[in-house]
Amino acid sequence: MLKLWSCVRKELLLLCRDRVGLLVIFLMPVVLVIVVTLVQENVLRSMGETKTQVLFLDRDSGAVGRQMEDIIRKSDAVTLVKEIAGKQIDVEMAKLAVAKGDFQCAVVIPEGTTKAFMKKAREAVENSLPASPAKGRVRKERLREPAPRFLIYFDPALSETLRLGLASLFEKVIMGIEMKEKMRVFSEVFPVYLEAAAKNAMGPLWSEENRKMVPDARIEWDNAPIMVVEEKAAQYGAPVLRPNTVQQNVPAWTLFGMFFIVVPLSGSLIRERQTGMLTRLFVMPLSYLTMISGKIISYVIICVVQFALIMAVGRFALPIFGAPVLNVGSAPAALILITVSAGLAASGYGILLGTVARTYEQASMFGAVSVVICAALGGIMVPVYVMPKIMQSVSVFSPLSWGLRAFQEVFVRGGTVRSVLPDTALMLLFFVTTTLIAWFYMSQRGRTRIQ
Amino acid sequence: MNEAGLCRGETLTTDHLVKVYRGAARPALNELTLSIGEGQIFGLLGPNGAGKTTAISVMNTFLRPTSGGVTVCGIDVVKYPRRAKKLIGYVPQDIALYPDLSVRENLRFFGRIYGLRGKGLERRIDECAEFVGLEGNLDQRIFTFSGGMKRRANLAAGLIHEPKVLFLDEPTVGIDPQSRNLILERLAALKDKTTMVYTTHYMREAELLCSYVVIMDAGEIIAEGAPEDLLRRDPSCTNLEELFIALTGKQLRD
Repeated sequence: MLKLWSCVRKELLLLCRDRVGLLVIFLMPVVLVIVVTLVQENVLRSMGETKTQVLFLDRDSGAVGRQMEDIIRKSDAVTLVKEIAGKQIDVEMAKLAVAKGDFQCAVVIPEGTTKAFMKKAREAVENSLPASPAKGRVRKERLREPAPRFLIYFDPALSETLRLGLASLFEKVIMGIEMKEKMRVFSEVFPVYLEAAAKNAMGPLWSEENRKMVPDARIEWDNAPIMVVEEKAAQYGAPVLRPNTVQQNVPAWTLFGMFFIVVPLSGSLIRERQTGMLTRLFVMPLSYLTMISGKIISYVIICVVQFALIMAVGRFALPIFGAPVLNVGSAPAALILITVSAGLAASGYGILLGTVARTYEQASMFGAVSVVICAALGGIMVPVYVMPKIMQSVSVFSPLSWGLRAFQEVFVRGGTVRSVLPDTALMLLFFVTTTLIAWFYMSQRGRTRIQ
Repeated sequence: MNEAGLCRGETLTTDHLVKVYRGAARPALNELTLSIGEGQIFGLLGPNGAGKTTAISVMNTFLRPTSGGVTVCGIDVVKYPRRAKKLIGYVPQDIALYPDLSVRENLRFFGRIYGLRGKGLERRIDECAEFVGLEGNLDQRIFTFSGGMKRRANLAAGLIHEPKVLFLDEPTVGIDPQSRNLILERLAALKDKTTMVYTTHYMREAELLCSYVVIMDAGEIIAEGAPEDLLRRDPSCTNLEELFIALTGKQLRD
């Protein structure tokens, strides 16, 4: 036990002294988490995954603009902005700001919109009723007023999906206002129309007394919806969080950082071999198992520290830059299990690489590139579900995909130790397999050594 | 059981030791039989490829012999490597130390591997550092050292557990005369406690230090005896270097 502890202490001490190694292990994943999360936060905004910033310029100041503003403000998808840097916006400013990409779109309600809108609504209702005998052939004779227009300026770089989504949102808002207005006009026009029809039918018999016999056709519309769309995430267990850039990137780049320990770990094995240190250690009363276990334990400790550090960045640092706060779920035991399993998987791979590679250059180059490939396949850079089918089927072989799936299980789906067991078991199997291959390779190479 | 207690008379023996590397046309060691007594400084000399390092590697438990046996203080090295390893110290040709650790940290690590701990370990660290003249540099990291200081630290690491047998594989390669002189002086002073097997290409060193030398070529012993006896046997040679060239030839060995 003393020997194992000595090996662990020595490895940790060496790591603490290795500035480049420390940068690779700690600084790189932290920088990656911050940079990629913030970059993707912006990209997702342009794709509509986060609240879209919409400039709202109401030059009409009438009922239509007010209603539109009220309805849009209630939307979860859009944030209305009416001023830029404390200044009132004009059309040119709005167009410029959108063209520069500062805002995803600008809505401009021209002067006189409310008046034209109401007029158009009345025209539509009146034209919808059969021609009144009292009014003659009103419908055919009435000139159709041009429909008032409100303008939307879109950022040219906006994704088609988001553009269509926003256009659809505004159309829905207008449809609602239009329907309300038409109903209001209808309620106003219809009793008059009915009375006129009765008057026309009765001719000279019509008297003021008959007016009382005409049914009251004023309509009080019930504004309560007659059907509600209820959105729910398919889930089991605890409530599902809406995945965002932080929930995706923090665990993803934590795993990436963890697997990057293969570079210093394999490097330390190769250096020991090249400097004759391994020979000296083999001549000492120290087993290969103890020696390798010392390295594995040290690097798993490093992985746990990495995990804690990046979680802290997700919870405390990223919100400072405007990103959402990381939610780490409610199963700390599951998180520890995943972290240790991922650390073991990465250590096993590092041991294998350090055993098989002949030079540090080979190990560092192959190690770094293979981790990047595994990360790409494992959904670290782009979520697996957006990959082509063939890549999705390949991604199941990446240890990083197992780790990421397990983290997402806890972070997003409210998973527990039990629900992450399949993925952690895969990582542990990977660790055992890589370590055994390294052991076999080592024993073959040192077949003539006394063990 | 105290392994040191087993060391009486012959500290190290090899019995018809043969080592054939996979794919090699001839054995690296061919029927090597040695008997090294307690307190001897045993010089293993020979040109490149003579089998010196292979012989040391088999004797110090690193390599398994193809046939033959090795005992250290009566312990069969092949059968009981763990027991034998506790009695063996090894100073490799390479500076096998962690360059980012200080002398103290390196020695502490090696000492713990041999089961030393606490005050006993710290005392041994101080003694070893003083022995090789690095007592003022104990907390200095190895990578900051000169070549000679690194060699001395390398020697200290081989001595930390007070081995019964110390294998020294060209311990003075590439260092300044002062450091070489100090190492040789200290090794000479150590012979009362430790038996040493010493390989070197510096014949003058072997002549001064070793009580017994074996000259090897092609895995076999071609001459052995005390340096002065060997020279007495061949009066045409005035020193060990001349004898060595006479025995192994002037042909270059790569």
